[in-house]
Amino acid sequence: MFDWSVITQNLDLLGWGLLVTLRYTVITCLLGLVIGLVIALAQLSPLRVTRVAGMLFVEFFRNVPLLVWLLWSYYALPIFAGIRISREAAGILALSLYGAAYYAEILRAGIQALDHGQGDAAKALGMSPLQAMYRIILPQAFRQMIPPLAGQTIIQMKNTTLLSVITIPDLLYQASYISSFTYRPMEVYTAVGIIFLIILVPSNYLARRLELRNH
Amino acid sequence: MIPVQSTADPLVELRDIRKCFGSHEVLKGIDLDVRPGEVVALLGSSGSGKTTLLRCVNLLDQPSSGRIAIAGQPIYDRSPDGRDNVHLKGRDIWAMRSRVGMVFQQFNLFPHMSVLANVMEGPRTVLGEDDRTNRERAMDLLAKVGMADFADRMPTRLSGGQKQRVSIARALNMRPAMMLFDEPTSALDPELVGEVLNTMITLAREGMTMLVVTHELGFALEVATRVVFLDQGAIAAQGTPQQVLLHPENERVRTFVNRFHATAELMRPLLST
Repeated sequence: MFDWSVITQNLDLLGWGLLVTLRYTVITCLLGLVIGLVIALAQLSPLRVTRVAGMLFVEFFRNVPLLVWLLWSYYALPIFAGIRISREAAGILALSLYGAAYYAEILRAGIQALDHGQGDAAKALGMSPLQAMYRIILPQAFRQMIPPLAGQTIIQMKNTTLLSVITIPDLLYQASYISSFTYRPMEVYTAVGIIFLIILVPSNYLARRLELRNH
Repeated sequence: MIPVQSTADPLVELRDIRKCFGSHEVLKGIDLDVRPGEVVALLGSSGSGKTTLLRCVNLLDQPSSGRIAIAGQPIYDRSPDGRDNVHLKGRDIWAMRSRVGMVFQQFNLFPHMSVLANVMEGPRTVLGEDDRTNRERAMDLLAKVGMADFADRMPTRLSGGQKQRVSIARALNMRPAMMLFDEPTSALDPELVGEVLNTMITLAREGMTMLVVTHELGFALEVATRVVFLDQGAIAAQGTPQQVLLHPENERVRTFVNRFHATAELMRPLLST
C-alpha cells in the first residue's frame, strides 16, 4: 500500500520546503506582531482619526478571505500601484498584514482588560502615556496575552501553506511538486500532514500549559 | 500640637469646579484652597463627589469647567461655555503630576515589579535618575514606612496594609510638594487600618501638605487642620475638625456624624463584655 521510499528519496525537497515554511512563519509573525501593536495602539489612541483607521484595518482583514488577499497582493497590487513586487515580498506583506489584524485584536483586548488603576498610578507618578504603556501596561498585558498570541501564531504557521499558490516553494509547494513526478500524492500529502502535526501538537500543548499557569 | 493656619500662597487653588458625567452633575462648582502644611480631610457620603474632586486636582479626571492652579501655575481653565483659557502641553501636565503624590484606595502597586522596584519606578522612568541615589532614598523611605525587610518581595505577597505603606513610599520617592490620598484605608481589613494611618500621621507631623478623602472620622478629628464636608457635589460645611465634626451646624453633617456615633453605640455592649 504505502510506499515510503517516495518520502525518503525526496527528503531533501521536503526539508527545504519545511525550512521555507518556518522562515515565513517567523518573519510574518514578528512583522505581524509589530504592525499589530501599532494598530492596537492606534485603536486605543485618543485621536479619532487613528482609532477609525485602526478599526478599518482590522475589519478589512477580518472580512477578506486570506487566499483572495494573497492572490490580489501578488497579481493585482503591482498593476494598481504600478510597481514590481517579488512573490516573496508579496507573500510576506500579505501574511504579515493579515496576521497583524488578528494580533491587534488580541493586544487591544489585553490592554483594555488591564485594571485601570495601573494606568492611573503610572500617570500619577508623572509618566507620559508612552512611558506608562511600555513600563507598566504592556509588560503586564503581555503575560495575560501569551496564550492567545501563541494560538494565533499556530494559525499563522498553518496559513503559510497558502503561499504555495503564488509559487513560493514552501512545504506544501514541494509536496505537490514531488507528487507531480512520483504520482504518489497519498504518501506525500500524508507526510506533510504528519510534519505539521509533529510541530503543532506540542506547540498547542505548550500554549495550553501557559494558559493554565496563568489562571 | 496646635495647627497654625498657614497664610502662604495656596499650593492648590480650585475655582468653580464642575464635573458632569452625561447629564448627571457630580461636582456643582467647588471652590477650595490647600495651603502649604495643611492637612485637609475631604468627607462626605459615597456619591458626594469627593473622589472625583480629588482626581481633578492632578487632572486624572478632567473637570467639565472651572479653574485649577498648582503652586500658582494655572494648569486648567475652562469656561462654562467650553472655551479653554489655558492651553497646557502634555509634558506640562506630566511634570505637574510628578510633583503631586497620589495614593489610591486599591493601592495600584505594579504587580510585575518588586517592592523596591515599585518605589524606584517613578524617579527612574520619569526623572531619569541614576539607580544608586534612587535606591538609597527608596530604601530609606521603605524603612520609614516599616517595609525595609520586604524590599525584594513581590506585591502580591503583601497584606493590604503593607501594600498601602509601599504605595505611600512610592509616591514620596518623587519628593512631591504635596500628597493626595483617595480613601487610603477603605479597602483594608479593620486591623490593618492603624498601620496605614500611623504612616500618614507621621507624614502630617513632618509638615507634608495633604488632601485626604477618607471615612476615618478619628483621623480627621486628630490630624486634619481643616475638614471639608461634601454633599451632593457641593461643599456643605468646612472649618476646623472641632467645628465641623463636634459641633455640626449643617443638618447633613449632623446626620453623617451621628451615623458613626450610632455604629459606635451598637458596638458598646460588645465592647463592655
